[in-house]
Amino acid sequence: MNFIQVFVEAFRSMNANRLRTSLTMLGIIIGITSVVMMLAVGDSARRFISKELEVLGSNLMIISPGANRTQGVKARSGTAPSLSVEDAVALDGLSSLNGAAPALQGFFQISAGSENSNNAVLGITPAMFKVRNWKIEQGSYFSESDIRGAARMVVIGRKIAADFFYKSNPLGKFIRIDNVPFQVVGVLQGEGRMFDGGDLGDMVLIPITTARATLMRSAFPSNVHYVVVQGRNEKTLKDADQDIKEVLRDRHRIRLEQPDDFRIENLASIAETGAKISAGLSAMLGAIGAISLVVGGIGIMNIMLVSVTERTREIGIRMAIGAKPRDVLLQFLTEAVVICLVGGIIGILCAMGGAAAITSTGTLEVIIGAGAMAIACGFASFVGIFFGFYPARRASRLLPVDCLRYE
Amino acid sequence: MGSVAGNIGTRGLIDIHQVAKSYFSGGVETRVLFGIDLLVPHGDFLAVMGQSGSGKSTLMNILGCLDQASGGTYKLNGVDTLSLSRSELAAIRNRTIGFVFQSFNLIKRMSVAENVALPLIYAGVSRDKAYRKALLELEKVGLKDYAKRMPNQLSGGQQQRVAIARALVGDPPLILADEPTGNLDTQTSVEIMRSLQQLNAERGITILLVTHEPDIAAYSKRLVRLKDGRVLYDGPAVEGLRQLALSHEVAAGQLVS
Repeated sequence: MNFIQVFVEAFRSMNANRLRTSLTMLGIIIGITSVVMMLAVGDSARRFISKELEVLGSNLMIISPGANRTQGVKARSGTAPSLSVEDAVALDGLSSLNGAAPALQGFFQISAGSENSNNAVLGITPAMFKVRNWKIEQGSYFSESDIRGAARMVVIGRKIAADFFYKSNPLGKFIRIDNVPFQVVGVLQGEGRMFDGGDLGDMVLIPITTARATLMRSAFPSNVHYVVVQGRNEKTLKDADQDIKEVLRDRHRIRLEQPDDFRIENLASIAETGAKISAGLSAMLGAIGAISLVVGGIGIMNIMLVSVTERTREIGIRMAIGAKPRDVLLQFLTEAVVICLVGGIIGILCAMGGAAAITSTGTLEVIIGAGAMAIACGFASFVGIFFGFYPARRASRLLPVDCLRYE
Repeated sequence: MGSVAGNIGTRGLIDIHQVAKSYFSGGVETRVLFGIDLLVPHGDFLAVMGQSGSGKSTLMNILGCLDQASGGTYKLNGVDTLSLSRSELAAIRNRTIGFVFQSFNLIKRMSVAENVALPLIYAGVSRDKAYRKALLELEKVGLKDYAKRMPNQLSGGQQQRVAIARALVGDPPLILADEPTGNLDTQTSVEIMRSLQQLNAERGITILLVTHEPDIAAYSKRLVRLKDGRVLYDGPAVEGLRQLALSHEVAAGQLVS
């Protein structure tokens, strides 16, 4: 008995009971849809998060100053002038860190020609480019000597470049920040949301020294608004956290019983939360899929048992004219597997529809890969074989003489 | 299957010796056959007669390798069948025996040609070859034009001819016909019996027929009458039927007097 014949007969008997077959398939369809969606959503969320992390920079921690206390009332954090450039330099030397970059931040009116807007301006050192993994698309970023010289230079994001200079080359042109002219020396690569809610494309970056000298004057000249540090790798992030605390407490002369006058935020933990949410979603879809497949499989077993009983006489005829027990087993097993595989393919199509629906909402781009499809087909076949085996074996063990007597 | 075609020997196609069969139900043993001996040479045309309960169906099932005897020996075409596995028995049925049943037993969902081709498919013949052979057999029973029809679109007589074509498609040496005319009218019965006679005469196929009608048994060469699981008569059909008729007359006479 060759395989084509077995498949032809499986399809024929499925076709003979179309309604029953499709109802039986339903469980498998739901199960496979869930499994494929689980794989696709999990995969897409992972891709989304790693892309997000790329924009954020990896293994980043942000250190901000603590809060000022005025008559026992705690103001919002970051208000105390407790973090300095020297702190950043000290942290830069830590072996558990790749680097530490101080930053000053303020909102200013920026203008060029007839265009103007209110924008965040960051005063930074070249270390920031390294730590944040920022790349330059055009031109260059400022050097250490530009920092020392408090040069009036600016590196801008792509959106700023497009808004202020349209399609012309912004390099060498001037932007006025709070009416102070700055020469554009570079344009940042990439766009996208960052941890502080800002967009990479909206960046206006100037040397930290220039910022202090012209835009953000302070009674504490070495004070910075925050320091961004990059850990060596994910595993040493905890150690790095400990090291930073030690260095800063020591430098700030904080006594043992006193609390920190700074705050350390781990950006990786944000990504971790995202990963946990997507893992939770995947687990839920997986559970739905598993339950549906088991229930669907039991449905298939049930229907196959009915089918064996209904076709007892046919089994007898087949055995009489030469079907071996193995042929009968194969016939019923193939039927169960084909039901599951067709259900699986319909399930994959449903999942594709679901993926397209999610993608169209714009929150997450869900792509169903060939791997997910292969796994789905594997699952479907497994369910067919697992739940189809018992009825098929029962059919194959019937005695021809009993079958032929069956009415 | 060299072993099946193997030793034909001097002992004939069917050689059963002291075949017994008993059923167990609820711990009670019911004996149906009590040591039957039967030797059927190649080319024989044998009718088995008996009332219901005589054991003729049981004997038929054992001879057709559909059921196993509880005791005795059964050699079919020189092969001892009692020691064979279910798969081996299936192969024997496939190559050695063609079945014709009272209720035709065609598979409803398959076309006429597919039904006829099925034994060859189970024998491992390719689909193309099997269909060509099936059409050839259908032509011989005069139903080539019906090849693509479904069985329920055919009359009873036509369905039985399809069943005969299916029985013959594998060129078996033996045909077992279990009440082949039981569901047919007289005219069609005669046609079916004539074609079986023809097969026996022209192709030398051994035919074993089970019936309870003397008219049908009259087409055979030899008659075996069973009663209560034992052989009552084994001899030429003409003589057997004469004795049977006589016993009926006696019985009728007794009733009249």
